[in-house]
Amino acid sequence: MNNNKFSKESILAAANNLRWEVDENLHDTLMESIYENATSIANKVVKYPDKKQAFSFDRTLDKILTSKYLGFPIMFLILAVVFWITIVGANYPSVFISSVLVDSLHPILKNFADSFMPWWLSGVLIDGAYLAMAWVVSVMLPPMAIFFPVYTLLEDFGYLPRVAFNMDPLYKKVGAHGRQALTMAMGFGCNAAGVVATRVIDSPRERLIAIITNNFSLCNGRWPTQILIATIFIGAAAPAYLAGIASAAAVVFIAVLGITFSLVVSWGLSKTLLKGEASAFSLELPPYRPPRLLQTLYTSLIDRTIFVLWRAVVFALPAGMVIWLVANITIDGISLADHFINWVNPAAFIFGLNGVIILAYIIAIPANEIVIPTVLMLTVANLGLTNLGGGSGVMFEFDSVADTAQILHAGGWTLLTGINLMLFSLLHNPCSTTIYTIYKETKSVKWTVISTFLPILLGLTVTFFVTQLWRIFLS
Amino acid sequence: MNEPIILLIIGIAIIIFLIMLFYPAKGIIAKVKKSKIASKKILIEDALKYLYNCEYHQIVCTLNGVAGNLSISADDATDIISKLESLGLVNAKKNELILTPDGRSYALRVIRVHRLWEKYLADETSVSENEWHLKAEEIEHTLTPEQANKLAAQIGNPVFDPHGDPIPSAKGDLPVRRGKLLTEMQAGEFANIIHIEDEPYAIYSQIIAEGLYAGMQIRMLLVTDKRIKFIANGEECVLSPLIAKNITVGIVKLEKQIGENFKTLSSLKVGEKGTILGIAKSLRGQQRRRLMDLGIVPGTKIEAELESLTSDPIAYRVRGTIVALRKQQTDRIFIKNSEVEN
Repeated sequence: MNNNKFSKESILAAANNLRWEVDENLHDTLMESIYENATSIANKVVKYPDKKQAFSFDRTLDKILTSKYLGFPIMFLILAVVFWITIVGANYPSVFISSVLVDSLHPILKNFADSFMPWWLSGVLIDGAYLAMAWVVSVMLPPMAIFFPVYTLLEDFGYLPRVAFNMDPLYKKVGAHGRQALTMAMGFGCNAAGVVATRVIDSPRERLIAIITNNFSLCNGRWPTQILIATIFIGAAAPAYLAGIASAAAVVFIAVLGITFSLVVSWGLSKTLLKGEASAFSLELPPYRPPRLLQTLYTSLIDRTIFVLWRAVVFALPAGMVIWLVANITIDGISLADHFINWVNPAAFIFGLNGVIILAYIIAIPANEIVIPTVLMLTVANLGLTNLGGGSGVMFEFDSVADTAQILHAGGWTLLTGINLMLFSLLHNPCSTTIYTIYKETKSVKWTVISTFLPILLGLTVTFFVTQLWRIFLS
Repeated sequence: MNEPIILLIIGIAIIIFLIMLFYPAKGIIAKVKKSKIASKKILIEDALKYLYNCEYHQIVCTLNGVAGNLSISADDATDIISKLESLGLVNAKKNELILTPDGRSYALRVIRVHRLWEKYLADETSVSENEWHLKAEEIEHTLTPEQANKLAAQIGNPVFDPHGDPIPSAKGDLPVRRGKLLTEMQAGEFANIIHIEDEPYAIYSQIIAEGLYAGMQIRMLLVTDKRIKFIANGEECVLSPLIAKNITVGIVKLEKQIGENFKTLSSLKVGEKGTILGIAKSLRGQQRRRLMDLGIVPGTKIEAELESLTSDPIAYRVRGTIVALRKQQTDRIFIKNSEVEN
């Protein structure tokens, strides 16, 4: 009774032939009928309470927040307030944590370790690993613990999608998504968190653009470097009564330059490397809601602050050891660090930098916050100024800007070095926490490598040309 | 070595060199890639494809046709054809070239990869429409049948490419040609565009520039041997017969027509309401799925709610939520005014 008509092959063949006949709209038709069914069921069983009141409130607020004249001023005002709260508010807890972990606890631990460990082991563990970790925690934790909750509150309230809506025309021009404005703002707090925040961009191509360009947002760890260097070099180059304004303007210029780079690079990426990625735009504007304070505090602390801090600490420990070791392992009586610095100096000179800066950026990869302490330590060690700082391999910072300036001038820094350091601080590889986060988010070695090396290439190109032009025209 | 002027010159030279190396389409790397493509294998495969197309459209294929299509000299074309004959892929009879069964299945394999790749580019990437064909021309010679099957499975075993051409199955099956040419239509007839020929490139890009795409509904107004006039998406469109010949249409029955009374979502002013009639076929892949996921399907009520600073994007209220869409999308979503309906 084996009826040939119904054999597996013949049924499959018939089905295959029928596929040509079926309309291309099959998927659409399915979708429509699902919606039709759902709507008819919902109409039977769901009652809609009168929501007119909330609607009109939402509408009025939307009209104001996205209006032609008020939209942008309100946006800049809110952003400025958020940054002001972060920078001013973070200062006190930062000083406190630093005084506990670095000033008090570090000597105690060091004495304790020295009592039973060989000097090199206590050096690696306490002066290296512990100190780097303590430094990262004290400078990273407070700004993040303030910035993230405030940001999350704005998000929760429903304001941030309106910012994306306002900014979309600009981002559309460079082939990106309006929500990139949000991830960029988040990047001003922390690039790693900014990269995680790109999850709100649901189009694959635009999301990759946002991830790769997030590093151009000057993050919390780089603001202090910019301010310090601007004060020492740019402020000093200006007349005394203009010093404050000149250095502040320089820092703002660098931040704006970062935004410009993020837009230009977005445009370039969308035209070249990322043409092969899918793109789909939609931007939901959820209704306004009263923010849930406690929940926000909890999630932003756990999901963002602790999450980022943990990754930073994990990378800071081994990097701290490396920092200590390069300064203390000697070959022919010269430390590894000095070997490297002397070897790189001629090449670094072409870019208007120096060997100390290059080495500091390599070994301080876990966090931008420890770049300046590392630079100071290396400069002092390189110059042989043994009476300054905490000893070889021990990162330190001065309380006064003048002392820092003295060391840097002694290290041969000029105004050009200062400018180039500011540029390079903006345009260099993301910190290891961010790199790791990029890998976690994209699951792709290719995009991780591109996001790591593209900024370095840009940075070296920019410093190179600035240096040559400077030397030709200004010296 | 540390003279800044010399360094500056070297730096600029390096950058110019890198631009020359990597410049898209005209750079050295792109040119090297292109010259590799002009190999014999590729000429053979292109010739087979052309012969198959002639057969499919029931046109007699000659040696000169092959030479013209591949832009090679008649001598080179003779070379290629004799090579094809010796491989047992083609029979040459007097002036006519006929594919052998082997030749036909080889041609179908190449065509399958070509159309699959076009479908892939259209649905899964943001490569622009007029580049699909050129990119597929490259990839069709490199992808193995196994890779092609994998790709097909990945994009859901599609049966038509974005131009409306059927994609040969892995076994080489293809349905019979359907529809008729735009130039064969009568005034007053309704039809769906089912296919737009993507060669020659110059004509294809002209058609694309008119905003025409496979799946579009049109109404014929006038057919003469000088010009073809029809209404597409509510706008009048005039083509010369030479261009119109590259468009194939399928006549639709009356009950399936979208009426005259429709407009695009982008024409809706803030505060106005409408009902969705459909999403244009040219919104594909992820973009289309996203819109449907948001509830933008025929029959849905939609209201323009908020305008951004430059009027693009505009936020719309759909099924109780507010969604901002860009003009590039709303130009391709069709609605009718709710007021008209009541």
